[in-house]
Amino acid sequence: MPSVERKPENIVRLIWPGGRSEQVTLDATGKSGGAGEIFSINSKPGFVAKIYHATTSQAHLASYWSKIQWMVDNKPALPQVPAEYQDIVQLAWPEALILRQSRFVGFAMQKIAFDRTLELDYLLNRRQAADEGFDADYGRLVTVSFNLASIINCLHDKRIAIVDLKPMNVKVYKAELYVSILDCDGFHIATDEFRSDAPQVTPEYLAPEFHDKAVAHPEAQDRFALATIIFRLLNYGIHPFTGVGSDHRHYPPELAGRIKQGLYPYGKVAHKSVRKVPASVHETFPDSLRDLFDRAFASSGYSRPSAHEWVGALAIYASKHSGQMSPCSKGHLQFSGRPCPSCMRDELIHGAEVRRRSFLAQVQTAPARTLKYVKQTLRQTHSSPFQAALAQAQFTLVQLAPPAPISTRNAIALEILWISGLLITYWWTR
Amino acid sequence: MSPVTATALWVLPLLIAWLWRPRQAASPSAWILLITFGALGAWALWFGLYAHPGEPAGFAFWKPTVLYWTLAAIMTLVPLLGWGYPVKIILGAYFALSNREWRWLNRGFATVYTILGGVNLLVASKASYKDWDGFKFSCMMNLLIIVLFRLNFVWLPILADVSIYLYRRATAAYRYLSSLF
Repeated sequence: MPSVERKPENIVRLIWPGGRSEQVTLDATGKSGGAGEIFSINSKPGFVAKIYHATTSQAHLASYWSKIQWMVDNKPALPQVPAEYQDIVQLAWPEALILRQSRFVGFAMQKIAFDRTLELDYLLNRRQAADEGFDADYGRLVTVSFNLASIINCLHDKRIAIVDLKPMNVKVYKAELYVSILDCDGFHIATDEFRSDAPQVTPEYLAPEFHDKAVAHPEAQDRFALATIIFRLLNYGIHPFTGVGSDHRHYPPELAGRIKQGLYPYGKVAHKSVRKVPASVHETFPDSLRDLFDRAFASSGYSRPSAHEWVGALAIYASKHSGQMSPCSKGHLQFSGRPCPSCMRDELIHGAEVRRRSFLAQVQTAPARTLKYVKQTLRQTHSSPFQAALAQAQFTLVQLAPPAPISTRNAIALEILWISGLLITYWWTR
Repeated sequence: MSPVTATALWVLPLLIAWLWRPRQAASPSAWILLITFGALGAWALWFGLYAHPGEPAGFAFWKPTVLYWTLAAIMTLVPLLGWGYPVKIILGAYFALSNREWRWLNRGFATVYTILGGVNLLVASKASYKDWDGFKFSCMMNLLIIVLFRLNFVWLPILADVSIYLYRRATAAYRYLSSLF
């Protein structure tokens, strides 16, 4: 057993809801984040502990203490999962306070099985997802989106908002497709009896109205971030504000600037100043989803679709029995009645690759083909009647006049006069 | 650079041109162009270097038009008088074209110069100074095309002749110097 485990500071007391306490020993896992470090709990294999860094100020610790205390006592009801998936953790919610010598140092939460999960970030790149053993077909992606929207809907019902919602903070169960949200101690809480802010944001997922200012409406922010994540999940990782500037107007190089200016090119009505990236397959999405995306990215505040609306819109596509997702001729799942996004993507990516290779091949063989053409012309052995006719055609070209019968000195004299005329012309026309 | 130096730098090549001039008789259209450009050059020299405070007020507005319409008038009237085609002098007679082709080329140049003169007045009076400046600059680009033709068909052959002459002289000088030692 490593010596660190025997240190007195690793012996802490868990305070469960209702006040029951027990002494446990923490084991270092080597995992650390911005706010704290993750430890395993010796006698509680289903839990881990997040211990705030020793450098955290007393004021911050006091703030965390009251927030975690409220969270421990008020765990939100989450979407129901089937009985066989009861070990799935949908929220890394604080379950117990951790005190060291009566001083608050962190909290215990249910352990997420990292071997069964992968970061949602990986799903934005099909190859990465495949490397992690996840076959990212549209049926599974819609289900993941639905499950994510369901959890957020439950949180919003309790007036809890995530605020810093981004793919890196979300884990996906590879087989079961449920999602797990991390960093719950950073959530925004605005209930009648308790309130806590969430200052942490990520510009790429921040709604335009909150850039350069505090997030005044956390649920509206979550609505924007949720729509962004769903859009990226369904559109091969393409961010809804990634595009191509279509005029001479200044097009911000970073996503945050584009979000701020509302440069969303994937709407049902094309944006005037920005074009979609060619590899986007958003046109294969059903109208119900496209309308929600348009509302999410082209409107502001609470007019964006809520998590509840997303749950309603995605439910029929996430259900295997609804018949709203059907296989295409190549076996990919697609939205029924719409073109297959996977085939379209293959066409866009591989079509471009085929054209590029064909062009390169043409360029590489051009000298040989030219030589062959010249040889055939000289030998008059063109197989194509058109080329034969072209090779034998007589073109009337302008003939050069015979040189004037004057000496070089005379020619120089004339050119001096001509250049003088040119300079005079320049002066008169400048 | 003082006005006198600038004048000398211009007059010196003209003196060389006078000394090396062809002794054959020049066509009337060449004389007309020579006289016209002489007058235009004298104006440019006087008002560009000597007159204070420069050319007459408001003349800048008319300047390109005066040149274009003068050339257009010459190109229209000279063939009517049977004095040849001035376009042969301006463009250079390095293409073996028929009289009919020269006539049409001459008419084309006359038309273009007439239009350019009119457009200059229109742009100068209606558009901004920047746009007018841009228009004049684009007109100068037309000169570039003529210069490129001239460079290819006249100047490069002259340069080749001069290079061959200098090479022969240098070889002869080398042989002479070698024979001394």
